[in-house]
Amino acid sequence: MNAEQKRAWLQVATMTACVVGYLVLLPFFGPVVATAAFAFYGINGFAGFIGRGERADERDKSIARRATLAGAMASFMAFIIGCMGTWFVVYAGYRKEQVWVHTLAMITQLGAIVFFFMRSVAILVLYARHTEADNA
Amino acid sequence: MPEIANLIRRLRFDNGEMTQEELARRVGVTRQTIIALEAGKYTPSLSLAFRIARAFNKRVEDVFQYEIPIRNEASPS
Repeated sequence: MNAEQKRAWLQVATMTACVVGYLVLLPFFGPVVATAAFAFYGINGFAGFIGRGERADERDKSIARRATLAGAMASFMAFIIGCMGTWFVVYAGYRKEQVWVHTLAMITQLGAIVFFFMRSVAILVLYARHTEADNA
Repeated sequence: MPEIANLIRRLRFDNGEMTQEELARRVGVTRQTIIALEAGKYTPSLSLAFRIARAFNKRVEDVFQYEIPIRNEASPS
């Protein structure tokens, strides 16, 4: 397992901890306070210490590039669906023209989270395909 | 199926049973990349293809071959 895979696993693990924490806090403290669970995500700041000095070759860079593209596409879709979903619920559903002040911040945060999560998942999937080749 | 086939595995054994690690070190990639190349899971850049060919003292076309995909089309009657 190389440094990129280790960082991807750290991303997936911290994101899972964030979502689980959010779901645990939600019924007790409500949606605003429950977002504090996303503080777990700060652990990813240590990802820079993983694999320091380890050199990536052209295949690693190719996988990173494809994973970044997958993350960006998923993030864009999440952002658009978030915006359209908000419009659909708030305007089309309740006929209101104002949204909750935290809505745009939360949609933007969702886009960022989806980007890093999907990029990490794509890295793990792409490397796993090559691991299958290793066993062949 | 990959369109670019290669003879890396055979050439390694023809060159004193060179290990994947040794070839990886010579051409400046990881062993995992050599594994992926041999399994046809990864198509190398032109630069890497030349470095691999040079490691075996061969020409690029002696190591890599372009395979034309076979289409299952019904022939006209």
